[in-house]
Amino acid sequence: MRTRVFYLSTTVLLTIFLFGFAFQKTDNKTKQTPKVDNCLSCHKDIDDMPQGYSDYDVHRQAGLTCASCHGGDPSSTDQEAAMSPAKGYAGVPKRKDIPKFCGKCHSNIDYMRIYQPRIATDQVTQYYTSMHGKKLMAGDENVAECASCHTAHSIFPVKDPRATVYKLNIPSTCNKCHGNSELMKKYNLPSNQLEEYSKSVHGIALLKQNDLGAPACNDCHGNHGAMPPGITSISHVCGMCHSSNMEYFNATKMAKAFAEQDFHGCEQCHGNHGVQKPTDDMVGVGKNSKCVDCHDKGDVGYVAAEKIEAEIVQLKNNYDAATNKFLEVREKGMNDVDIGFLLQDAKQNLIQSRTLVHTFDPAKVVVKTKDGMNITNKAIMLSDKEISEYYTRRNGFAAATLAFLVIVIALYLKIKDKEKRKQA
Amino acid sequence: MKINRRKFLNSILGIGGIGGILSIFYPIVSYLIPPKMAEPKVNSVKAGSTSDFAANSYKIVKFGRKPVILIKTVDNQYKALSASCTHLDCIVQYKSDTKQIWCACHNGIYDLNGRNISGPPPRPLEQYDVKIVKDEIVITKMG
Ligand code: FES
Repeated sequence: MRTRVFYLSTTVLLTIFLFGFAFQKTDNKTKQTPKVDNCLSCHKDIDDMPQGYSDYDVHRQAGLTCASCHGGDPSSTDQEAAMSPAKGYAGVPKRKDIPKFCGKCHSNIDYMRIYQPRIATDQVTQYYTSMHGKKLMAGDENVAECASCHTAHSIFPVKDPRATVYKLNIPSTCNKCHGNSELMKKYNLPSNQLEEYSKSVHGIALLKQNDLGAPACNDCHGNHGAMPPGITSISHVCGMCHSSNMEYFNATKMAKAFAEQDFHGCEQCHGNHGVQKPTDDMVGVGKNSKCVDCHDKGDVGYVAAEKIEAEIVQLKNNYDAATNKFLEVREKGMNDVDIGFLLQDAKQNLIQSRTLVHTFDPAKVVVKTKDGMNITNKAIMLSDKEISEYYTRRNGFAAATLAFLVIVIALYLKIKDKEKRKQA
Repeated sequence: MKINRRKFLNSILGIGGIGGILSIFYPIVSYLIPPKMAEPKVNSVKAGSTSDFAANSYKIVKFGRKPVILIKTVDNQYKALSASCTHLDCIVQYKSDTKQIWCACHNGIYDLNGRNISGPPPRPLEQYDVKIVKDEIVITKMG
């Protein structure tokens, strides 16, 4: 009986609690979304919704209404009254006014803090320093404003894969305008950047391998303050990730010579949107060499290039040989752990030697390639030992089988011999 | 002739017997004195003594098949983390000036707890436990 009372009272209490919770939830919801939003209901009824409207838009989800941006009185059912300028109705903003329109809130830290305490509020200021912003201010209505990249009514946070500005979507977002050859012709700009980028080492990493660490358009050009990277800033842009390369390059005489000749830093040898994984024959004096673009046979740079390439190629070949031996050891099921470690080290050396190319100093490259050669030689030696151990074991096994076979045959003959003697 | 045949058989049997005995004992001896083999699956490794490890420095330690970065911080604490960058697998290093873990390949930076704080690395570095047993540093797998 007691147990029954206990169960009953627990069930009742639990039910009350759950109901309370459910009501509280609804309460919160009603607090966020205003009770009446006649703009939305009327526009839905007459099927006159803005293009691309999404109920999951970040503003809508934060409880903002149409009137929060466009003004007016959403509580009125009368169209005239709801959309009267006296009630602050601003309607659809003109393109040139959009940055200020969004900036009403997005440039106001006191307001933005309510929604996201850490959000930046300098987007509009940055935008007006960008090429897009400058041109818009000058009256060019073809350039991108906020909605061109973020959309107007299906905006998602930048980390949301549905967002047009999510890292993986940025290249195609920029390409909406920058891939339009008619439009780009007006600005004397090419329109094949996405095509080039997609085939580049960065594009493949981002778009094919989903490597979010790879740069999209905005990582080099900026986003709200987007600009083509200037000649002086280019090596800094690349150097954000390729920091050692930048450091080495900037410390060389070549950096100064590049600046004097108006050469574009990294871009001069590596290209820009279509940048490919560098190959070892980009240095040296062969047909793919970049060095011979400026250096002639016999000059110091030419000799240095030749030496640097030879060193790196030698290490690369030795590294490949060691890797093949390592794979053979692994395939034979022998101990490959130490060899694997040596190869990891050798790979680091190879990477560092290639990075040191940017010092253009063979002596510095040789220090690393020498280390790398020693390590790869050691890996080859260890692999050979393991491989010969494998054959020793196999041959030993064959010898043991042979020994047993001999015993069996000899025993058989011996028994036969004994039987014969007995009969005799 | 008969004696020759018997002798021959006996010597064959003898040689075969010795071979047979060797084939049995060689593996036993090899088993008892094994060749130097690195253990591919390990749960802990010794990383040297605390006294030959200067503060604000690091070393790369083999942990089975994986490289681990062992750091002694300025305040003499030990940190052990996977040394393979979570971006493209380069080996990371400790920067004694900035007191951060740095991947030279694409300027990836991690804090001393292995959290990726800037650059391309998508994930933190895996953490290992460090214990000091009688002045010896022992790195073990977490959990
Ligand atoms: S491999 Fe470490 S940052 Fe790219």
